[in-house]
Amino acid sequence: MASVKAYESDWAFEARLRRRIRHLILCSVGLLISLLFFFPVYLMVSSSFKSEGEIFSIPMHWIPHEFQGFRQYEFAFENTRLERWYINSLIIAAVQTIATVFFGALAGYGFAKFRFPGRNILFLFILSIMTVPFQILVIPMFVLVHQLGWHNSYQGLIMPGLISAFGVFMMRQFAYSVPDELLDAARIDGASEFSIFRRIAFPMLKPAAASLAIITFLFSWNSFLWPLVIAQDRDLVTLPVGLTYFSQSLDREPLWAVAMAVSTMATIPVILLFLFFQRYFIEGMMVSGIKG
Amino acid sequence: MGLVQKRQYYGLLFVAPAVVFFAIFFLYPIVIGFGLSLTDFTLLKPPVWVGLQNYQDLLNDRLFLKSLNVTIGFVLGSTVPVWFISLAMAVLFFQRFPGRELMKVLFFTPLLPSVVVVSVIWKLLLHPSGILSSVIGPIVGQMPIKWLFDLQLSPIMSVVVHDWHIAPFYMIIWLSGLTSIPPELRDAARVDGANALQSFLRVELPLLKPTAVFVAAISTIRAFQGFSIQFVLSPSQGGPLDVNTTLGIVIWKYGFQFFRMGDAAAISVVLFAFILIFTLFQLRLGRSDDFSLS
Repeated sequence: MASVKAYESDWAFEARLRRRIRHLILCSVGLLISLLFFFPVYLMVSSSFKSEGEIFSIPMHWIPHEFQGFRQYEFAFENTRLERWYINSLIIAAVQTIATVFFGALAGYGFAKFRFPGRNILFLFILSIMTVPFQILVIPMFVLVHQLGWHNSYQGLIMPGLISAFGVFMMRQFAYSVPDELLDAARIDGASEFSIFRRIAFPMLKPAAASLAIITFLFSWNSFLWPLVIAQDRDLVTLPVGLTYFSQSLDREPLWAVAMAVSTMATIPVILLFLFFQRYFIEGMMVSGIKG
Repeated sequence: MGLVQKRQYYGLLFVAPAVVFFAIFFLYPIVIGFGLSLTDFTLLKPPVWVGLQNYQDLLNDRLFLKSLNVTIGFVLGSTVPVWFISLAMAVLFFQRFPGRELMKVLFFTPLLPSVVVVSVIWKLLLHPSGILSSVIGPIVGQMPIKWLFDLQLSPIMSVVVHDWHIAPFYMIIWLSGLTSIPPELRDAARVDGANALQSFLRVELPLLKPTAVFVAAISTIRAFQGFSIQFVLSPSQGGPLDVNTTLGIVIWKYGFQFFRMGDAAAISVVLFAFILIFTLFQLRLGRSDDFSLS
């Protein structure tokens, strides 16, 4: 009996040891790679609290020795139009997000719940839009916006991204799950078609709308090419374009600590979205495949 | 016409705003894009019809031909390595071990800053007096390393920055693919005596095929559009000596620096052709409904 017990505990001990070793290996590999990937982001934040002189100190200072507080942030606000760029980015992203969700839900519901002539061909048209990336459209879009007299204006910045084909597509997929019985019951009660959409269908689409809102906001917040070509006026520039003013100067060394402060500020809204809406954030990214 | 039939027409009202919008901001630009590619146009004077001349000129255009090379290099560098890194990380994070959730968040962080921010951070990292130069310089016996000014190194750095930024995104996709595989299959393989590697190669990998097609197609299509990283990271918007000038950068240069809208439109059409090929490939191989929405 005693020998069997000893054998058992030996076996259990060995299993535990094996698991420990396995965890140790996985932990160290995971930690090494994660830290490697995390490091540049850490550097961005920590450098924004350094003085310009400390940025290139060798060896690198993990924690700023001459901690600057928010001085670099203040410097950026005082010496550039940062506030303006921030507001521009927020306005554009907010308008595009609201419009994309609203018109996307509207059209998605229309495609999913009604059978009207030309429905399939119109939907195919929407699908085909998703296969054409913006780089290809930028030249004719610029010419069009020029023709409309919208270059250097908020309309010009906002309009091309007002509705997204992907938004329509995504909302259509989810609108299928709205039960027809509910809609018909409301019709019998005499509700108008639009109020059925507003009161019954749209509330049921809210989780999908949340994901769509987050990725639309990200896409708009991060977009670079269109604002770059369309906004010549410095007061119309968005945050990503404004940020390049810090890094592109050829005649002098950029103010790196300030650039890192602006970079950090440009990333904060995204971090907040990620922290508070992690589920919708990741779902939205996966469904769309458009990390902008 | 019955009441029910009549009601269906409301659908048209619902889809009308989006359809009208896309007619103006998609269909019309596409048409004028093709049209412009057949003209000489500088924005100042009306377009002049030149037929296929712009396309013919592209065949001898040094910058365009260079950009084809650069783009193909960037596509290779930002697809195959990313697939393997992201898959390996997904397999790692699929295992259970203490601290996994925290590490996953750390690994995920490169995805949060925008591409422009990412490029600016790396511009600092790759500065001749920056950290990477001071750490790696002594090892290879060269100080300082001018990562972004070297003709060979610079395009590689664009790839490194891209892959670092996007790997977490594909990791999440692989991970969801792995999670969707029923655990019974894996257990069955293990009971039959397969080791972890065998079970991965024979059971999991074949079941990941739809995910693989999705990752392969999306990453390729996105890589063809490379623009922002090269624009911000390189010392002179696609430099040095145009080694970072992708098709996207050439379109921007011809359109908004030289104001040769006709040539820029022609290059856009060529880029469209490339991307169309890979989109069709994705649709054919993947039947995109496998992954598009669950």
